[in-house]
Amino acid sequence: MTDPLAVLDTRPAPGQPRHYDFPGFERGTLENGLTVIRCHVPGRPLLQAQLIVRGDAGGGATSEAPAQAGATALMSRAMSEGTTERDAVAFVEATERLGAEIKAAAGWDSLTVSLEVPRSHLAASLPLLAEMALQPSFPEREVERLRQQRLNDLQQVLADPARRADHAFPATVYAPQAAYARPLAGAEVTVSELDRTSLVDRHTALMRPQATTLLVCGDLTELSLDELIARSFGGWAAKSEEAPLAEGAPDAPAAARRVVIVDRPGAPQSEIRVGHVGTPRRIDDFHALSVMNALLGGLFNSRLNMLLREERGYTYGVHSGFELRRSAGPFAVRCAVQADATVPAVEDIMSELERIGTAPVTDAELDAARDYLIGVFPLRFETATQVAGALAGLVVQGLPDDELDRYRPAVAAVTEDDVRAAAVAHIRPHDAAIVIVGDAGDCAARLRDAGYGQVEIMRDDGVEGADQPGPEAA
Amino acid sequence: MNGAARVRFSQHTLSNGLRVIIAPDRVAPVVAINLWYDVGSKHEQPGKTGFAHLFEHFMFQGSRHVAKAEHLSIVQGAGGVLNATTYFDRTNYFETLPSHQLDLGLWLEADRMATLLDAMSQENLDNQRDVVKNEKRQSYDNRPYGSFYEKLMAAVFPVGHPYHHTPIGSMADLDAATLEDVVAFFRTYYVPNNAVLTIAGDVDEAPAIEAVERYFGPIEPNPELPTFRRPHETSLEPHREVVTDEVPLERVYVGYRCPAFGTREFEALEVATQILAGGRGSRLHKRLVREEQVAQDVAFFVLPLVAGASIAAGWVTARPDSDAATVEAMLDEELARLAHEPVTDDELARAHALIESAELSALSHMDEVSDRLSMYTTYFDRPELINEQLGRYLAVDVEAVRDVCAAAFGEGQRATITYVPASDESEAAA
Repeated sequence: MTDPLAVLDTRPAPGQPRHYDFPGFERGTLENGLTVIRCHVPGRPLLQAQLIVRGDAGGGATSEAPAQAGATALMSRAMSEGTTERDAVAFVEATERLGAEIKAAAGWDSLTVSLEVPRSHLAASLPLLAEMALQPSFPEREVERLRQQRLNDLQQVLADPARRADHAFPATVYAPQAAYARPLAGAEVTVSELDRTSLVDRHTALMRPQATTLLVCGDLTELSLDELIARSFGGWAAKSEEAPLAEGAPDAPAAARRVVIVDRPGAPQSEIRVGHVGTPRRIDDFHALSVMNALLGGLFNSRLNMLLREERGYTYGVHSGFELRRSAGPFAVRCAVQADATVPAVEDIMSELERIGTAPVTDAELDAARDYLIGVFPLRFETATQVAGALAGLVVQGLPDDELDRYRPAVAAVTEDDVRAAAVAHIRPHDAAIVIVGDAGDCAARLRDAGYGQVEIMRDDGVEGADQPGPEAA
Repeated sequence: MNGAARVRFSQHTLSNGLRVIIAPDRVAPVVAINLWYDVGSKHEQPGKTGFAHLFEHFMFQGSRHVAKAEHLSIVQGAGGVLNATTYFDRTNYFETLPSHQLDLGLWLEADRMATLLDAMSQENLDNQRDVVKNEKRQSYDNRPYGSFYEKLMAAVFPVGHPYHHTPIGSMADLDAATLEDVVAFFRTYYVPNNAVLTIAGDVDEAPAIEAVERYFGPIEPNPELPTFRRPHETSLEPHREVVTDEVPLERVYVGYRCPAFGTREFEALEVATQILAGGRGSRLHKRLVREEQVAQDVAFFVLPLVAGASIAAGWVTARPDSDAATVEAMLDEELARLAHEPVTDDELARAHALIESAELSALSHMDEVSDRLSMYTTYFDRPELINEQLGRYLAVDVEAVRDVCAAAFGEGQRATITYVPASDESEAAA
């Protein structure tokens, strides 16, 4: 008699793929210059609307003055703290009655005020989106409370090894004066100086209809969108001032490669970050870069994860990634490893960064990375909020309207040579800085001997001077 | 009212006992496959904790036709995403794939259910033990306040209670685990008559059930599946503990034993926690964060558990110019207010509106739809609860909220764990 489980001997072949297109969308412009993008996603009654102050118009934290670092993020948090029409509690209660959530968030390249609401309540909630975006009152008392919260949060950052490492990494790879060296929400020295006036000035400088795009996504059947949008945003007056611009290059790299150890004697694990200044989003080899990173440290079966997790058992997981902004965001490999594996893990990471530009990429690796990126594309857009997120990416980065339609064919066309070229162009192991939050122990000497650059050891003894390098240990 | 379609589904049971739910939805060319095994940390025996979670790792280490770690590369290579989670009451394994890869996903799940032990080895056991230990270090040991979860569960559920230990288990138990132990655990629980399989998304019912029958039909059931014995509930002894740790701000955690998931009382408590701490319009946020300005953050929630009781838990982080005792006293006042005074109609209406939006959001994700169908079937054998849940929340009234809070938040029935910074000493040394 045959084995009843014999049916499992053959791996099933895929069926016929069903066609998928990213939802179509259309653009319009109001008389005041506000760009409107509407995207109908059938069967999705929870709508997403986003008012996006664009990066090309200085819309994000990149364009704030160095002495005001953190002002854009604090301003975005304070926008929901009351309007000229009502106080914060009355405002949030008005949104809750509609089952709506309205929030503002600052990025490096944009300021976004977003609304998520069931379609039956769009008409009632769109005016609230406009009210919060255009008429925030920034009450003194609430601004002060949020400022204190940010300062307290910075203390929490220092206590959490993973957040501590993410905090130290940009300051290690960028030049001190570069915007990207700073935390998006600001460090203690600048946040301490912010006040209501800083936020009002920032709001005035940023909010101009010509610099802004309004996205509305979801099931838009039988909604009188034109009328609703005109009623809420038609009266917003255009302004003639120029867009605020960044002082200096936001992505200037540090003068030299460094090793920074934030010493935590007795820590059971080390948080490790290895990397350097990466690349802007708008590059010709974006798709090759995506495939290259997937097989280096994006997929579970990436080179880094197979080595550090599955072969060595050092870590619960390791990832690599580029933060893609209008200027060059950071490239980092991130992981937490058991303390006694710290130096071996760094060595393994460095050797994989070396190998990605020199050793051949196998067909299996290339297929896995391309098929993954192509296959998950429709999975990323199940909801109106996800579709809006993808469109917002186009708006913020200044990408063409057909970017999302081009994505899958462009990934499919990536060759082994393209991957190697992307690795050579974008991964630079000899520039890679190292940040470790963990027990410095004998790591410092071993890392110095390995020639990874000057080694600095920091101690977090309270918040004051937390980012000042301490004396170098022998 | 908002055009939210009811979830359409059909139920089937294979001759080996596997329960199957198929829920077609054509919005996107995507299919979610979701498999619940009715085994979680509550089924583990003393001295052998952490096994259900350890299997969450083994299940990716290969089976007869799948090499070590190949499961993930096959799914990702097919353009899919996957994960697995371990909880007190169950373990779930799930993948979302382009819909033309349905058979591949079913084959992968069937292969590891039928033949996982072909790939089990001492080497696998040792390697995955190391990975789990690093997971524990990362999620519990090397994180501020990271020990609260283990401490709170242990305090709310006494020694010997199946919820006393958390799913990650004891590292000493994992060290002591032998190959025979883990093999026996697998043979007992990872069988078709202890599982629910849901397929949701871009599928036709007939070919889908045919494919399930093809791959899962030949797998043998376990005729001696143990029945889980619900614990005898004893009353909660008040518990108070102070932990000195590397934390920047004082924080107080509280935990109460409360009615089990699936009861009307649990739903009333979910509505109550929405009013208490569900966002910036909530009572705790309004008073402790905004008005009194004593708290950096607040949280309060209920964990859905089915074996007789659940836990309602929360925390408040004190601002540097305040302290744990102050924020705890205010938290107490707010809990007492919920137990003694009716919430306003407006508070209830806002909570209902927010819950309705959250349900709309959840049911627009195929992975969430499939997970809920598996959950309601595993726990209650009633997948139709997916379409009844919102109505049950909306039926919670002012009296139900007050009654459940009066019963749950009584005097002296809670565990309190306070974290205080150890930094006083290190500052002196610096």
